[in-house]
Amino acid sequence: MSSPPKNYLVESILVTVFCCLPFGIAGIVFASQVNSKFASGDIDGANQASADAKKWMKWGIIAWAILAVLYLIFLFGLGGMAMMNAGDF
Amino acid sequence: MLVISKTKIKYIGLLAFGLIVAILYYFINPSFNFFPRCPLYATTGIYCPGCGSQRALHDFLHLDIRGVLGHNVLFLFGILVFTYHFSIKILNTYFKKGYQNILYHRKTPIIILVVVIGYWILRNIPIYPFNLLAPD
Repeated sequence: MSSPPKNYLVESILVTVFCCLPFGIAGIVFASQVNSKFASGDIDGANQASADAKKWMKWGIIAWAILAVLYLIFLFGLGGMAMMNAGDF
Repeated sequence: MLVISKTKIKYIGLLAFGLIVAILYYFINPSFNFFPRCPLYATTGIYCPGCGSQRALHDFLHLDIRGVLGHNVLFLFGILVFTYHFSIKILNTYFKKGYQNILYHRKTPIIILVVVIGYWILRNIPIYPFNLLAPD
């Protein structure tokens, strides 16, 4: 018996906890499909679900990066001066 | 050869990124500082399953498990799953063991999905004992 395709379950959980809930939930759903399809012998379906899970994980990370960059721009653009003046962080 | 070095670069990159994040969150307490807030909480006042994980990470790096539990129970669960997954992977790859990874059981993702959604609902109920799950 061969091993199942990567189901990205751990990555999806980390995406859920650390950042982007909808992407993480979608990832967990596809991870479940990877496991159940592989168990029932549908190797192609399992591979497809694995690719989908990877896609959602990737978008979760991209969304995180975009949010982080936007936040930094916001921080330095608007709050930077005020914070330096306050000097208490 | 190329594939191996590529994976290595990926892991070194991830390790470096993890280290930077860890140092950042070790020295700066997200409770009082300029770290971003959860967009869902900021706009609607609803806690998502990830709310409190930045503070939980800070607590975790200071080995304050009680603080982690107070801010986000799911964070500890995530750490445990992560550790489990990579322990099995390392044992199977480098020590030639054949352990079954429970995360590849067909029911595991469904159970985790139910746990996450259930946690999401429960931590938003503002009554004892559910409010213990909400980040303070």
